[in-house]
Amino acid sequence: MPKKMQLKYEWNVAYRIEHWVHVASMIVLIFTGFYIHWPFFGGGPESQIMAWMRFLHFLSMYTLLIGLVLRIYMSFNSRFDADWRDFSVIQNLKGVPEMIAYYTFLKDKHTEYRKYNPLQAFTYLSWAGIIILQALTGFALYSGDFFGLFSSQAAFGWLNRLLGGESHTRVWHFLIMWYFIITAVVHVYMSLLQTLVKRDRTFQSMFTGYKLSSATGKKR
Amino acid sequence: MRKEHGLATRDLVDRLRYSGVGRRDFLKFCGLTAGLLGLSEAYIPRIANALEKGTKRPPVVWLNFASDTGCTESLIKATYPNAADLVLDILSVDYNETIMAAAGQQVEEILQKSLKEGNYILVIEGGIPTKHGYGMIAGKDMMDIAKEFAPKAIAILAVGSCATYGGVPAANPNPSAIKGVADVLGPAYKGKIVNLDLCPVNVEVLVAVVVNYLLFKKLPELDSFGRPKTFYGQLIHDNCERRAHFDAGRFVEKFGTEEEALGHCLYKMGCKGPMTHAPCPKIMYNDRVSWCIKAGAPCIGCGEQGWTDKFAGFYERLPGVSIPGFKGVEFTADKIGLAAGAAAAIGIAAHALGSTKRIKKGGEE
Ligand code: SF4
Ligand code: SF4
Repeated sequence: MPKKMQLKYEWNVAYRIEHWVHVASMIVLIFTGFYIHWPFFGGGPESQIMAWMRFLHFLSMYTLLIGLVLRIYMSFNSRFDADWRDFSVIQNLKGVPEMIAYYTFLKDKHTEYRKYNPLQAFTYLSWAGIIILQALTGFALYSGDFFGLFSSQAAFGWLNRLLGGESHTRVWHFLIMWYFIITAVVHVYMSLLQTLVKRDRTFQSMFTGYKLSSATGKKR
Repeated sequence: MRKEHGLATRDLVDRLRYSGVGRRDFLKFCGLTAGLLGLSEAYIPRIANALEKGTKRPPVVWLNFASDTGCTESLIKATYPNAADLVLDILSVDYNETIMAAAGQQVEEILQKSLKEGNYILVIEGGIPTKHGYGMIAGKDMMDIAKEFAPKAIAILAVGSCATYGGVPAANPNPSAIKGVADVLGPAYKGKIVNLDLCPVNVEVLVAVVVNYLLFKKLPELDSFGRPKTFYGQLIHDNCERRAHFDAGRFVEKFGTEEEALGHCLYKMGCKGPMTHAPCPKIMYNDRVSWCIKAGAPCIGCGEQGWTDKFAGFYERLPGVSIPGFKGVEFTADKIGLAAGAAAAIGIAAHALGSTKRIKKGGEE
């Protein structure tokens, strides 16, 4: 353990479960999404493979949406760590140049932040945004009932008209997914990098809950 | 029109008998139309009655603008119950350049007479060139003709995708700046224009809208594109006869294969059914004999605005999209995704290499 570092309980059970539920539903969404986009294997004679893929796709999106609602609730009301202040856009904008300089090797050190550095905060914020965008475009493409309640087309058809028809909505839905894939891969890479560079168990913390922390991070 | 003008004033039943259509066939037709309009059987006599009061029915003036007259073709190919006569009679078409027997001066007179009397149902087939001199009839710009006839019409039906927003003649690059009827006539006519999309128009839909008007003296409820909701409210994909194959993951991968012979889903052949709102699977064409997908061709989405541009190539799953801001540059969504993914992978690899020094010093702050 590097000197002056102590164990810190970074993620409570709720945060960890929320994280992994998101991971699982995202993986299912991306896999089934690719299948719906281009069915790359066929089913057996009696299979309902496409129907299942779509069912799983919708199910995981509902899960993801509920997860997002819980996450937002937690950022304001979690007794363990209500972290909404960490996502302040204006505060974070100020820190962006320094973080970029650090990651492009122009600077050797960067300000320590309480939990998320500005680039992280922006990425996570954008994820909340794209979950909403994917839900909107997804519902616009869906012709059943939204949450089983009322017609998805009546509620979200306006989006198709705005974007120029279902085909365009579909293209956006697809491209937004790629944005997520890329940022998610960068996210995993960054957490590994952080773990290796700082030796602070960032990567493990999402499993165990504990990471190593040097004295106190900048508090906001 | 094979019969002469003037016959249109004779009693409908007489005329039908004249062209070999029996009363039973006529009632069957009324029943079919009632079904299309979602009306109960009780309405069949009312429909028959509304149609039989031939003399009091509003005449139909059918104007042909920039199109291939495919919609007229579709109209005269309606075979139920007996050839085009019934449909033409029901529509009581007073003027249609393509199929009327009269010509020249005589035609102009009929047209002017209708115009003077007003209260006609104006059917417009074809897009309207908005540049002077690009589309003229008898020395008049099509746009001016449309504007001349529109005010006195009790209802305007834009039939086929050309009339609704330009269709094939308005496909990129559209040198004659062809537009749809609603765009040319402007917002003042909103609610008075019914857009009957599809290339060509589905005659049964056209007739149903006219019958609906004769019956209730009003136009059907329209969606945001000005199309009757009853007919354009559902996706082709949701009513498609091949949907079971789609759900089961059975797709045609190539034409000429066993899968094609088995009638598997055409999704991978570029079928646009999942993006197109139209009644084709339910009403079909040519007297409900067949329609595109039943005939084995993927839907090319001709019921959607701008289909000529946004759905070409018709055999591709997701046609190329132009990136906003980069005019003329087209990529397929797949290529964009893969390129961005590859760039990210390279970036990460490079960054990891660049970080080796930091990693080696790991933990020493
Ligand atoms: S053929 Fe086209 S419309 Fe029919 S199920 Fe397949 S994709 Fe859908
Ligand atoms: S099935 Fe598709 S291509 Fe065929 S008429 Fe209908 S909308 Fe047009």
